[in-house]
Amino acid sequence: MKRIIVLGACALALPAFTFPITAAAQVETYNIDQYHTVPYWETDHLGFATLRGRFDRATGSFTIDRGAKAGTFDIVIQTASLNTGDTDRGTRPRTRDEHLRTSDFFNVAEFPTMTFKGNKVVFNGDDVASVEGNLTLLGVTRPVTLKMTRWKCGPDMRARATSAAATPSARSSARISA
Amino acid sequence: MDAWLNDPVTQSSLAPFLAGLVVTLALFKLRLGGLAAVAGFCATAWLIGELQFTPLTAKRKLMLLALAAPALGLLADFAWRPGRATAYVLGVVFAALSVWVFSSVLVQKPPVQAFITGGGIVLFVAWTVALTASLQGNSVRAGAAGLGLGLGAGFAALMAATASFAQLGMALGAASGAFLLVQMLLGRRIDAGLVFCLAVGVEGALVAAAALMLAKLGWIELAILAAVPLAARLPLPVRWPVWGQAILASLYTLACGGGAAAMAYLATR
Repeated sequence: MKRIIVLGACALALPAFTFPITAAAQVETYNIDQYHTVPYWETDHLGFATLRGRFDRATGSFTIDRGAKAGTFDIVIQTASLNTGDTDRGTRPRTRDEHLRTSDFFNVAEFPTMTFKGNKVVFNGDDVASVEGNLTLLGVTRPVTLKMTRWKCGPDMRARATSAAATPSARSSARISA
Repeated sequence: MDAWLNDPVTQSSLAPFLAGLVVTLALFKLRLGGLAAVAGFCATAWLIGELQFTPLTAKRKLMLLALAAPALGLLADFAWRPGRATAYVLGVVFAALSVWVFSSVLVQKPPVQAFITGGGIVLFVAWTVALTASLQGNSVRAGAAGLGLGLGAGFAALMAATASFAQLGMALGAASGAFLLVQMLLGRRIDAGLVFCLAVGVEGALVAAAALMLAKLGWIELAILAAVPLAARLPLPVRWPVWGQAILASLYTLACGGGAAAMAYLATR
């Protein structure tokens, strides 16, 4: 059987970040909101169709130093949370999702996570343009550059500051593709 | 040609069968016909791109042991006359090595579950390898054990949602079938030796164990597969010709292997 799965594309939404702990520091640290972050992938299916899937669980953080034009981006994706929408066996002995979890593809029993460790944030003016780092999947690490196709940062409307001294809350989102 | 080589049927049955047939016919006079099992297994592993060793995942450790087993068997066959005790010792050795194969999976489980699962795998591998390796003196029973264990593990793995292990199991069955077929056509037994029996026991047991550890095969199916080397010991009429004994022994072992595959199928319903 020829493998048809590759990590074709990854889009991440990082919408709910908390703002820096100290206002004086220029380094901003954001934690990924796992409920609004969706790494997804797509692959060509034997030349006839494009199969799309997503991972329902991902955690990580993003640090950015706008002054120094630097930052890091770490994300850990739970591979067992993959979801292609095929969960009903029907007359088949297995669903596609069950097959994708086995050692033929994502091998979740042996490699429960995949990680991206970004160590270089590239800016375009004041905006983040891309993140360069290493993607580790199935025990293999390869350099990958994530291109930022959307970057938005602003106050989190769900949070209200209780005092002037309180750490302000912010909300930021990004769409990234590899 | 590429389309033909990429066809799963070619990869998991035709290619290993031909590899087993060629190796048996070419080498049986040198008492090396038992290399058929590893030849078929490696033919399929190569065709499906699994003959790699880095990074050293559980599947690749399995491939290493699948190559080491016949090499050790070959050495034993020619260096000394291995008996039943050798088979049992090798069963224990490969059972211990199975912990190494699946260590990367076991360490991620809670300690108690890892102990129970690892212990179960060790028992299964020790039992299957020891009982299969001790069939070395009877090439018909050994070939039938390879046929039943390989096809049983292969089809059970297919039901358990792992195509690559399914193909490797079926390859073992196909190569063992070729080894049996040569005996049926020649009308006489040819040496199986530890080179064949150890390869069958280790490869069959580890493929089945991997389908449990890395896919969705159940313990019941594994237990039924463990009965294959026992089924290969069921009585055969001594006056029957080799082809008749081979067919009857194969029916015994295929009943077990088929039972495991059927249970794996029922588990999906």
